Amino acid sequence: MPRSVLVVLAVLCLAAPALAGSGKQVRYVGIHPLPKSEGGGICYIEGPHVHIFDVDKVQYRDHRGAKYFVGDPVAYGYDGPRYAYKGHHPIHVDVVVGDDQPDDTFCYITGPHYHYFAPPEGPEFKVSGDAYFYVGEPPRAYVDARPAMMKINAVYQPIVYDRPVITVDAPVGWIGARAEFMAPSAGVVVEGPAAAAVVAPPRAGVTVQGYIPMPSLHVDIGIGAPAVIVHDQPAVIVHERPVIIEERVRVKHDNGRHRGHY
Amino acid sequence: MHKLILVLALASCSKTGDPGKASGRDAVVEAWKAAKLAPSTLSAATVTFAKDCQSGTIENLDLLLCSFASPADAKAAEDQGLTWVGAATGAAQAHGAVLIVLADRRKADPSGRTINRLLKLAPN
Repeated sequence: MPRSVLVVLAVLCLAAPALAGSGKQVRYVGIHPLPKSEGGGICYIEGPHVHIFDVDKVQYRDHRGAKYFVGDPVAYGYDGPRYAYKGHHPIHVDVVVGDDQPDDTFCYITGPHYHYFAPPEGPEFKVSGDAYFYVGEPPRAYVDARPAMMKINAVYQPIVYDRPVITVDAPVGWIGARAEFMAPSAGVVVEGPAAAAVVAPPRAGVTVQGYIPMPSLHVDIGIGAPAVIVHDQPAVIVHERPVIIEERVRVKHDNGRHRGHY
Repeated sequence: MHKLILVLALASCSKTGDPGKASGRDAVVEAWKAAKLAPSTLSAATVTFAKDCQSGTIENLDLLLCSFASPADAKAAEDQGLTWVGAATGAAQAHGAVLIVLADRRKADPSGRTINRLLKLAPN
């Protein structure tokens, strides 16, 4: 066999492992779900570690170059210790992962959910009904990031799992009941016909939370990016008890002149 | 009396001479053995980021234990330790002056529970 062929074969043999293992390392810190392509379930490595797969951006934040999961691990089969929360709240990532570089982020899951950590003791959380309620003063960054981060709720909406059942009233000062931090309902941002909303009168035992807008055409007047939001279909918001918002769109008839929307 | 002085001197040397050496690595292995997680026989390993390393397997995971002169040196080598993991799930953590590197190249620990347990058992 010619020497040149042997050289080529040798080079290919040496390169084979590198080509086969060309998966790029992605850094993680803390417990997180595993993608279905990896078999699903949970990765229970609490400290810094690597995988060779990437994940979505909505459920993760960057912590010193590593991906940190801010979602509800129970939704993915986590079977370890868990702590119930309701509504948005800060996560002190440095405390959770045990390093000395302060790093605060926010969880934007609306309604009851779990995390695998309890918040540090202090005045910013109140415990009621075995659940943590955030009663602190959120930073500007929380409101600024909210429009993008609220998408996390769309991830959890279709997942069927045992969420915490929180039946107690929220304590005074809870972020979910403060007008200045009312989160816009998940809706479709549109421009066009004015819409009128009718909030169905609560049935017995139904709680209508104060942040449900009426009419549904509203401007988010928080200190974040204002947004005009019109719901294009009835929305059902479930917290402890169901609330049904019905929508009606008024159409002005112009006797066939078709001048468009008013 | 002379014997006593000699013994004390030797003991002193062993403590101040190189605190991160084999004693730290042995302590890690002993902690695992106490939890019935015994590694295979470790053999000398050559890597670019440390001079005193041994490799083997534990619970079907690939294991690299490197001793450094100080905890700071071991900590500084964590990122380089990940290069040894390669294209696999793994971790590189300094525990005292010992760098522990674990790689799950055979997908033996898909949930990471064993890696997490080994790292938590290792003394700092």
